[in-house]
Amino acid sequence: MSVNNSNPLHHHWDIFCTVVDNYGDIGVTWRLAKQLVAEYDIPINLWVDDLLSFSHILPMLDPHKSKQIFNSVNIFQWNNPLDIEFTAGNVIIEAFACELPSQIKSIINQLHQPPLSQAPTWLNLEYLSAENWVEGCHGLPSSQPSGVKKWFYFPGFTPKTGGLICERELFNQRDEWQADSTHKLALFKKLGLQGINAEDTVISIFSYETPALAALCELWQASQTPIHALIPKGRSLHSLTSILPCDIKDLIPGQQFTIGNLTLHILPMTDQNGFDRLLWSCDFNIVRGEDSFLRAQWAAKPFIWHIYPQEDDYHLVKLQAFMQIYCDNLAPEIATTWSEVNLAFNQGNTNAVVMHWQQLHSVNLSLMQHAIEWPINALNEADLASRLVQFVNNS
Amino acid sequence: MKTAHEIRPGNVIMLDGSPWVVQKTETTRSGRNAAIVKLKLKNVLLDSGTEQTFKGEDKLDDIILERLDCTYSYFADPMYVFMDEEYNQYDVEADNLGDAADYIIDGMEDVCQVTFYEGKAISVELPVHIVREVIYTEPSARGDTSGKVMKPATITGGGTVTVADFVKVGDKIEIDTRTGEFKKRV
Repeated sequence: MSVNNSNPLHHHWDIFCTVVDNYGDIGVTWRLAKQLVAEYDIPINLWVDDLLSFSHILPMLDPHKSKQIFNSVNIFQWNNPLDIEFTAGNVIIEAFACELPSQIKSIINQLHQPPLSQAPTWLNLEYLSAENWVEGCHGLPSSQPSGVKKWFYFPGFTPKTGGLICERELFNQRDEWQADSTHKLALFKKLGLQGINAEDTVISIFSYETPALAALCELWQASQTPIHALIPKGRSLHSLTSILPCDIKDLIPGQQFTIGNLTLHILPMTDQNGFDRLLWSCDFNIVRGEDSFLRAQWAAKPFIWHIYPQEDDYHLVKLQAFMQIYCDNLAPEIATTWSEVNLAFNQGNTNAVVMHWQQLHSVNLSLMQHAIEWPINALNEADLASRLVQFVNNS
Repeated sequence: MKTAHEIRPGNVIMLDGSPWVVQKTETTRSGRNAAIVKLKLKNVLLDSGTEQTFKGEDKLDDIILERLDCTYSYFADPMYVFMDEEYNQYDVEADNLGDAADYIIDGMEDVCQVTFYEGKAISVELPVHIVREVIYTEPSARGDTSGKVMKPATITGGGTVTVADFVKVGDKIEIDTRTGEFKKRV
């Protein structure tokens, strides 16, 4: 690797991302990178350690090419040690607390020392959480042994946090899409999903493994009206092996199975725009992690959040914190029902998830209305990218 | 060097070339179990304060200063007065005790460590585990004995600790002073 520091602090930003869970971390960083280029005209270098996983949400990406450009974002294969020339820009972001390569830290330190004394703004972009402590930690410095300051940037749901990723035109695009039901039917057709009528209930499923999913599918089989469950190949299906007619590895996108009034459809992988439109087109979304969790909120549809499991069930603390903030303006009976469904799903409590899902029917209209109003309230007038740019300008 | 996770109130760390006494630590969990540690710090030389955040595994340069085993003697606002075995008295500013002040009570026998910087007592570290009496808590709501259901309790000295639901007024409980967590009923 060579280092070019003759002209320190180019205009660009570097974002480093290690792929931990296939689509979550890279999903968030890829959206942010695209938005910073498109809306703020900031040149972005996105360094990713696993281009193969990245290619699942960016199908045009060649996992074997170390440098390529999509959506005007420079995408680099991040090998350790770094084997591509690195030139420091204005900002370096370590996404989700990933560890920067030692060479990069060394360059930051060199730039911090006299006579340059001009290190890039170094940010640790953290995970999204609705917990109260986030406000107290967002934007705080973290002095490194060299004297360089790194800044902790926490996304969040309140004005005192780093905000939520949301593209400027997203809600307009969503509203236009949802205003015309032919859009969703055309999308389903394009995805190879057969037999879905405009009035059928359609549920997307992108969860981790849980027995709650099998319990819900069993319930849906006995539904009075047709229900279509759309599931990509992946972790959700591992919870449904008992009702699948073949091995998961033999499933192909577009394949479907009908049991009672439930039809399971195997979804092809799609890019992020396609995933957004899928969420906009469904009546209910079951999502996981961070990226799809946020996109389900922006879809303005009711959802279940399957949160990433943590030691000592700490994820339930994070789930409760979000449920509290999401339900703040909801009538108690609606808030309770929706929260209980989410809790039961996350705890894998099959009886409770079935019972509370049935109760959702009685509050569905109010829940749908809340889902429509929520995105504007959650944004608090400024999205993450705009707050991030402001933060960098002020730091 | 200590990891940020190991830093305790009362420690003194070097940051940006200056010694800072740690007044308060707050450990939380980010995504995927990673610890985030927020430190409230006071510059020993300038008397100024700041807050910083670290990853739990970040290495911090804790400096070894002179320490003496002492016991708490009395409070003379705004100073807590501690005494060593030879009956020498040392004044420590209340601010520098941080959350440890919640556990300071008259007559306590816990042996504390007073830290000195250039001859001045600047901070106090309590023992990792201390025992205090619960002076107020609501009765058990569900008769839970598992220890998983928690509730707030006021301890002698006025501090609040989150305790297991089975804990009653008058119980003596062990507290981890690093985290403020209830450990067990003793």
